[in-house]
Amino acid sequence: MDFRLGEKAEEVKQEIRAFLAENFSEEDRKEAAEDGGGHDWELYRKLAAAGWVSAGWPKEYGGGGRDPYEILTLYWELCKAGFPWIGLLNNGFIGHTLMAMGTDYHREHFVPKIANGEIAFALGYSEPGSGSDVAGARTMATRDGDDWLINGEKMWTTTAHTAQYIFMLTRTSTQDRPHRGLTIFLVPTDVEGVEVTGIHTMGGERSNGVSLTDVRVPDVNRVGEVDKGWSVVRFALGLEQAMGYADLQERFIQQAGAWSLQAGPDGQRPFDDARIKEQLGQTAIHAEVSRLLRHRSTWLTAEGKDLGGKGAMTKSFSGTSYLDDAQRWMDLVGPAGLLKEDEDGALAGGNFDEAFRQTPVNTIYGGTVEILRSLVAEVELGLPKSR
Amino acid sequence: MDLSLDESQQILVDTFSEMLEKECPTTHVRDHEDTGYSESLWAQYCELGANAMGLPEAAGGLEMSLLDLGLVANLSGRALAPVPFLEVAAVGRLLARIAPEDALLARLAEGEPAASIALPRPNAVLGTSTTEGGRTLIPFGTIAEAVVGLDGDTLFVAENGKARRSDRVQDIGSGALAHWNLDASSDARVLASGDEAVAAMRRADAEWKLLAGFWLTGIAQRALEIGADYARERIQFGVPIGGFQAIAHPLAECAIRTDGAELLCHEAAWADTEDPDRFEMLCSMAFAWGSQTAIRNADIALHTHGGYGFSNEYDIQLFYRRARALSSIAGGASEELQTVAERCFDRDGSGEATSLLGGAQ
Repeated sequence: MDFRLGEKAEEVKQEIRAFLAENFSEEDRKEAAEDGGGHDWELYRKLAAAGWVSAGWPKEYGGGGRDPYEILTLYWELCKAGFPWIGLLNNGFIGHTLMAMGTDYHREHFVPKIANGEIAFALGYSEPGSGSDVAGARTMATRDGDDWLINGEKMWTTTAHTAQYIFMLTRTSTQDRPHRGLTIFLVPTDVEGVEVTGIHTMGGERSNGVSLTDVRVPDVNRVGEVDKGWSVVRFALGLEQAMGYADLQERFIQQAGAWSLQAGPDGQRPFDDARIKEQLGQTAIHAEVSRLLRHRSTWLTAEGKDLGGKGAMTKSFSGTSYLDDAQRWMDLVGPAGLLKEDEDGALAGGNFDEAFRQTPVNTIYGGTVEILRSLVAEVELGLPKSR
Repeated sequence: MDLSLDESQQILVDTFSEMLEKECPTTHVRDHEDTGYSESLWAQYCELGANAMGLPEAAGGLEMSLLDLGLVANLSGRALAPVPFLEVAAVGRLLARIAPEDALLARLAEGEPAASIALPRPNAVLGTSTTEGGRTLIPFGTIAEAVVGLDGDTLFVAENGKARRSDRVQDIGSGALAHWNLDASSDARVLASGDEAVAAMRRADAEWKLLAGFWLTGIAQRALEIGADYARERIQFGVPIGGFQAIAHPLAECAIRTDGAELLCHEAAWADTEDPDRFEMLCSMAFAWGSQTAIRNADIALHTHGGYGFSNEYDIQLFYRRARALSSIAGGASEELQTVAERCFDRDGSGEATSLLGGAQ
């Protein structure tokens, strides 16, 4: 048994920390939080130049050939530092997918440009009428000669306003069961008929709605076979679910711990209050368990083993425990916990306020906790399908 | 990274699983509810070397790791085995470290369940500490002839069990509890004093908590299996109840937490030699989270049974009661969470933030 991620991962940690120290100042962090879009081209291109965008791709495609532990460490350090890394996450995955399931044209035309930071992709699965029921997508793609015409609406298309393309799930058939009539297209965002509208969240994030009216896409931009897009989407969601928020939970507990140990205006340390101490212990355990579940997902991936319901376990636990902790802490710390970062009297750098506003999304996007629990019940406990 | 058991660990698991399946079905557990201890089962444990597996060779032991001991504790928890495996392991290892020539150690190594431990409870709520007035509830205190404890910075062993212990007191977990008079002034033997004594008890406490974490995780795993089995078989409204989200989702949540508990136990045991700075904190985590998970799983699984869950005829109530008992005998999860916080952030009480989160390098 060995719980270490290994030497290579440790080197990545040092490299990324050095990169952040050089390129990502406290001001940058605040700007990224203010912007909330999850992607910053200037920073992103620096990452690309250092090889991090394609770090996890196989070497034969010009990638860095980094192992899953190194990639875990890359994401962990960036996320924990508050770096706008959503673009990196999406593009790393889409590169993988295009190499595995794409055509020679995709590999020649898109993959190198992703690697060097020239282009970025947003993910377009959700729609106003389909969230948890991803396969219920109704955005239609219909053939028009050698092209396709796409009509419909997408929701929660984070980074669509900064990306050149959307990796989009569309309906190409209504003849069979819903998940058998889906096809993936790489849809440019700068063509006629695409309209991107910002959606702003309580947690300070900016996502998007995208409307599509007779958007013309050449057939070469199709990924995978017609009507066979479901397996691609499932792969994508599996990747997202296997991660969770252990990195953010670790930052949260470290900030809560540091705050607890500082004497307040009355000279007392919050730490010495049994209620605070107990909640610190609970939050620390939640962070540790989330990390272990995520490491297990990574280990299974690295070993080429089937994740079963264990990816879903990772995100489900992390999302619910972090939300629960954020809410409990707000109740414990009193009125000053309400204050935003940089306000006079704010606690722990506004950390409690931020976590309280940002954690509700974690049990929803990328698979709601209800969807994940159903998956765990079916796959891990052998219970009948419950939806 | 490698999260799998190696070959010898797998053989150990297979050996004890086989023995427990044969020797400790729940009928055996029920047959021993009036004493909380099965002499015949303990003999089987000793046959397989369980009493001395964690002791050094010089003390007649097998020098096996805490992970090995944990695997046996985990299977014991699954089976609700009424044996003093935790106490014998913790006291034996403590004596081997601090008093290797002690006669009590030799008796433990020979398979006599002769000693138990009075666990320190630094975060006990005022007035509820069982050490009040020198009287302490001791697990397997009914059969032990000696109890090791800490008084201030004096590590002592209180012998002459017949004079010190009460009759068995019945408890929620049908255990083998007795009150012990541990007043150190009443001719207890001093094993060590000062920093060495405090450190020795701290270590023994961490080991007991870690093994109890494994044990509780075993209770959690088996309780969940029983609940999920019932949810697959029980038909209401014409379908298995496990197909209803109201039944399936709480069980799924239990499965997730249980995997977390197992990983936490394995990590803590591994940390003994590989990540020693985090070892004690992880032991505390394993006990607190094992407690919370076992109690929750037994509750959810019991509820899944509807009315049958609380009838004595069904096994799930055995798990519900024992999960609570093993957690409470050491003070319960709330107390342990405070210890987790201390070990994570304020190890020496200096107020310096020394977060041990983040895993091994």
